[in-house]
Amino acid sequence: MAIIETKQLTKHYILGKKKVVVGLENVDLEINQGEIFGILGPNGSGKTTCLKLLLGILFPTSGEANIMGKPPYDIEMKQHVGFLPENPYYYDYLNGPELLRFYASLYSMDSDKADKRIEELLELVELKDAKRLALRHYSKGMLERIGLAASLINDPEILILDEPTTGLDPIGCRDTRNLLLRLKEQGKTILLSSHFLSEVERVCDRIAIFHRGHLLATGTLDGLNKQYQAENLEDLFVKTICAFDTEFAAKTGERK
Amino acid sequence: MKKMWLIGLNTFRESIRKKTLYIILIFALIVIGASKLFSFLTAEEELKMIKDVSFSAIEFFGALIAIFASLAAISTEIERRTIYTLLTKPIRRSDFVIGKFFGVSMIIFVNFILATAFFIGLLIFKKSPPNMDVFKTLLLIFFELILIGGITLALGTFTSDAFNIICSFFLYIVGHLTSYGKELVERTENIIVKGLADMLYTLVPNYENFNIRDKIVVGLNVSWGYVGYTIAYGILYMCVALFIALYFFEKREI
Repeated sequence: MAIIETKQLTKHYILGKKKVVVGLENVDLEINQGEIFGILGPNGSGKTTCLKLLLGILFPTSGEANIMGKPPYDIEMKQHVGFLPENPYYYDYLNGPELLRFYASLYSMDSDKADKRIEELLELVELKDAKRLALRHYSKGMLERIGLAASLINDPEILILDEPTTGLDPIGCRDTRNLLLRLKEQGKTILLSSHFLSEVERVCDRIAIFHRGHLLATGTLDGLNKQYQAENLEDLFVKTICAFDTEFAAKTGERK
Repeated sequence: MKKMWLIGLNTFRESIRKKTLYIILIFALIVIGASKLFSFLTAEEELKMIKDVSFSAIEFFGALIAIFASLAAISTEIERRTIYTLLTKPIRRSDFVIGKFFGVSMIIFVNFILATAFFIGLLIFKKSPPNMDVFKTLLLIFFELILIGGITLALGTFTSDAFNIICSFFLYIVGHLTSYGKELVERTENIIVKGLADMLYTLVPNYENFNIRDKIVVGLNVSWGYVGYTIAYGILYMCVALFIALYFFEKREI
C-alpha cells in the first residue's frame, strides 16, 4: 500500500520573464509502507525539489503529492513525519537537548515523555557527552547527527531524509546505515535522497533515478539491473542518465 | 495558540542569547543617563530636558530594536534554513508568522520596560516621580514600537532584507512627517502631487499620532480619549500588517 504518493507532480521555477527551469516534470511515485526508498540523481536532478514538494515547503506547478493520503500542508499528517534537511542548520544558540525539547514541544509531547525521548536519542546519535555544548560549536558530523535525532523526536512513522550521510565520516555513515535498517525493522517507512550510490545500494529496497527533473527509472535494484542490462547500480545510473541525455539532446536539436 | 507561543518564546530566547540588541539598549540607557548632564539649567528646565531626551531615546532606540528584531525574525530563519525543519513540524504557516510577532513583541516589551525603568528611576532620583501624563506618553510610545515591529515583520514576508530595512526606516521617517507633508501639500494646486500626498497619508501609518511628548513636557493635558483612540488606530494598522504578512507568507516558497 502506498503511504507516499505523487501524481504527475511538476514544479517549474520561473526565472525572469521568459526563462523557466524544470525542477520536476510529471513525476509519479508510489512508496510503500515499511520500505526504504532511495531517490538517486546527480546534483540539480530534482531530488530535493521532490522532497520539498512532499513536505509543503514548495508548491507544485501541477500534479499532487500525498503522504498517508493527506496533502503536504496537513497538520495531522505532519505529526507522523520526521524530516532531515540537507546540510541541516539549527538554532545555533541552543544546545542539543534544548533543540530537541523545542521540537518535541511543537509535537505537543508532554514534558516527561519528551525528556525520556531526548535521552534515548542523544544516546542513539552518541551526543550525550556534548549536552551542554551550543550547536554553534558542533562539527558538521555532529550537526548531521543532532539533525537525525531531531527528525526522530516524534518517533515518526515516515522518515524523509535529504542526503543523510553528507558530512559524516565512514563510521558515521555506517552507524546511520545501521540505524536506518533498525528503523525499517520497526516498521518505519524511509524516503531518502542521496548521490552516494553505495549507501543507497546497501539500504534501499527500491530506488528511483532522477535527472533534469524527470523520473527515469523506478523499481528494485535487481529488477532495474535486469531491465537496463546493467552490472550494478553505478552502471545502471550511468546508462539511464546517458540515455536520457542523448534523447534530450536529440529532442532539443530537433526543436532548433 | 500554544505553538505560536512556543515559536514566540524561541524568538525571544534567541534575542537574549545573541545579545545583539543589548547594544542598542545600552545606547538608549546612556542617552537617558546623559540627559541628567543638563544640571546648569534650572530644576524645572532640567526636568523638562530629562523627560524630552528620555522619551525621544526610548522611542528612537526602541524603533531600532523593533526594526532589527523583526528583520531577523523571519528572514534569518529563511537565510539560515532553520525554517525547513520548523515548517515540516505540525505547525501552520500562520502559527509561524503570529508566533514570530509574539516573539518580536516580547523583545520590544522587555527592552522598553528596561529603558522605562531606568528613566523612571532617574525621575524619582530627581524627586519628581512620574505622573499619569508620563505613563500616557510611554504607553503610546510602546504601541508605536509594536506597530513598527509588525510592519517590518510584514515587509519581511515578501521582500529582501536590504529592501525591508530601507522601507522600514523610510516608513518610520515618513510616518513622523505625514502630517507636516499634508499641510504643505494642501497649499499646492497640482492635482497629481495632492493625490500622491493623500495616498501616502492614507497608506503610511501616522506615527506622529503617537507623539504626545511635546505636549506633556510643556505641561499640556492629553485626554485618555485621545490615548485610547490612538491605541485603537495602532491596533488596526497592526492587524492590517499581520494580515498582509499572513497572506504573503502562506504563498511564499522557501
